[in-house]
Amino acid sequence: MDLFLQQLVNGLSLGGIYALIALGYTMIYGIIELINFAHGDVYTLGTFFSLAILTLLGVTGIVTGPLLVVVVIVTMLGAMILCGLTGVVIERLAYRRLRNAPRLAPLITAIGMSFILENLMQYWHGPSPIPFPQVIPNPDVHLGAVTIATKQILVVVLAIGLMIVLRAFVYRTKLGQAMRATAQDRDAAQLMGIDINTTIALTFLIGSALAGAAGFVSGVYYGSTWFFNGFGAGLKAFTAAVLGGIGNLTGAMLGGFLIGLIEAMTTQLISDQWSNVVVFSVLVLVLIFRPSGLLGESLPAKV
Amino acid sequence: MRLTPLLRVCLAVALGALLSACSSSTTSTATSTAPGSGGTIEIGVDLPISGADAAIGVPTQNGAVLAIEEANKNGFTGGVFKLESSLLDDAVQGVHDPAAGAQNVKTFIADSAVLAMVGPFNSNVAKSEIPLTDDAGLAQISPSNTNDGLTVGPDAKNLRTAHPDTNTYFRVCTKDSRQGGALAQFAQKLGFKKVFIIDDNETYGKGLADTFEAAYKGLGGTVLGHEHITANQQDFKALLTKVQSTAPDAVFFGGNTSTGGGLLRRQMGDVGMSATPFVGGDGISDTAEFVKEAGAMANNVYYSFAAPDADKLPSAKAFVQAYKARFNSDVGPYSAPAFAAAQIIIAAIEKAVKDDGGKMPTRADVLKNIAATNDFPTPIGKIGFDANGDTTAPMLTLKKMLAGGKTETVAQITLK
Repeated sequence: MDLFLQQLVNGLSLGGIYALIALGYTMIYGIIELINFAHGDVYTLGTFFSLAILTLLGVTGIVTGPLLVVVVIVTMLGAMILCGLTGVVIERLAYRRLRNAPRLAPLITAIGMSFILENLMQYWHGPSPIPFPQVIPNPDVHLGAVTIATKQILVVVLAIGLMIVLRAFVYRTKLGQAMRATAQDRDAAQLMGIDINTTIALTFLIGSALAGAAGFVSGVYYGSTWFFNGFGAGLKAFTAAVLGGIGNLTGAMLGGFLIGLIEAMTTQLISDQWSNVVVFSVLVLVLIFRPSGLLGESLPAKV
Repeated sequence: MRLTPLLRVCLAVALGALLSACSSSTTSTATSTAPGSGGTIEIGVDLPISGADAAIGVPTQNGAVLAIEEANKNGFTGGVFKLESSLLDDAVQGVHDPAAGAQNVKTFIADSAVLAMVGPFNSNVAKSEIPLTDDAGLAQISPSNTNDGLTVGPDAKNLRTAHPDTNTYFRVCTKDSRQGGALAQFAQKLGFKKVFIIDDNETYGKGLADTFEAAYKGLGGTVLGHEHITANQQDFKALLTKVQSTAPDAVFFGGNTSTGGGLLRRQMGDVGMSATPFVGGDGISDTAEFVKEAGAMANNVYYSFAAPDADKLPSAKAFVQAYKARFNSDVGPYSAPAFAAAQIIIAAIEKAVKDDGGKMPTRADVLKNIAATNDFPTPIGKIGFDANGDTTAPMLTLKKMLAGGKTETVAQITLK
């Protein structure tokens, strides 16, 4: 039982990272129906930016006290802003002109963007794993025999917290309303006086910023990063978004946590090498019986 | 078109080499290029020299380069031919890649100046290269491949379908059945009664883990579990939580630093397994990279490599000095074997040139001479090859990684 709970903690932490990436995936799909394959690489870029900021701040090891809060907030916000801007630039350069092109064109462009980002990161830090400073000290919380690291709490709290903020933004603000309107019918939204270019850019800004947050958390959680991380994580996050119902924020979150849990439990009960097989089998099964995902598809349908 | 004259020379040389190659393989009386006109003979070197694998690949390449440079300095073939190296990288995105290795071998085969090659480093890359060199009759000597299936058994046969009767593949290091066996004995001696085995599911990693498991069980040890990780895996926490729950005396890893070994060791610290020793083969002998990836956890780690420790070997003293003077760095675990591999090839080429009266030798002549290598003096001992292409002087080094990136040699074993 203790082991089960410990794996639950592991699965939720892994799932939290997937969920943060999946939120951005699902937002971008929701608004322009584009599977943004570069999104996973923006996530890795978030780790790289965080590393650069920490280096600038001169942080190489554990930080304690109030300074820790400052360092975490500055680094994470910095990574979020830089990633958000990267997302906006990608949209402006690679996707905007293809908005009315056949859907295959932006899809291929997205794969191209992914390669470009990967190679830029490879150029930046070389193609081998790079260590990430252990910023957060490790006073583990012990609940019976279960150990929960501070980092793990951070991942889960951040994922759920940002999802709640995002939901509030999308459903309670004017800009969120504009986003939903653009997602529902771009032409009609434009006729109603919504600047769809700005709205779509805003979606990329927020989605990519979330990937940046995930990148920071991942760096802290694993203590290392690699330019190629985004490929695998992006694929899983995309799966999470589809599993939960692509375009659906709560669904993306649910899908992310679910995949993390499935991976951890498969490793415990069967074997590590089967975890991907089980994850994708679950995806296939869910799609057979609920083709639009667990919580149903896309924002417009829910307005 | 500034390159045209140069190109013409190259073409002429290549054509000449090709003609002589064709002629001597069909009839020995055919005319050939004039002796003394010289030309360039190349030795192909295919190793992973970028990314995480660079930490071990580059010092290995340096060993081969040093041998080639020394040969030129010492008047290779009496100055008739110039010896050059053709250095290719088989790492893609920082990790050794069988497809890239195969492509590199095709490049060597297409270049008629390449008479033999050193490499590859990794066993799965060798699996994709051996069928090609076997088909083309190009001799290759690996400094570091340890998988048994490359030279013996049905696996080896399946790699040589083009010419089942000839062998083009040789290695100067020993096999995993020896390495795994030695590591199993070593683990027993250190008092590890029960271990958990993890491998990276590659040719080398899985092969080593399997031979270790068999030998360890044979010695009365308990294997608590055997798991395989997947390529590009980032999260090992669930797996390690499972491993921890079985309370092993040590974790054995079959694989490379670049295929998960470093990150796996790092995350052992996160799940509270800091005190558990980590045992691996030559895949984690690239200590610089391992330390970088595992961080403070690169401590209490035992590893082996399938060659002698050049720093400790009297016969390698001159080599180590020359290496340090040339590259201004310490030798890697497989620098000396790569040097020895290149030396054997160079000697085979020189003999072929001499036997042929100063003409450009054929690949077949070079291959024949390499296969006949016996008691050849190299820094790592007197080397010969058996019928399978395995070394007749297998040696093994066992080392321990200590805090701060230091290592100490625990044992050096001559296997007979």
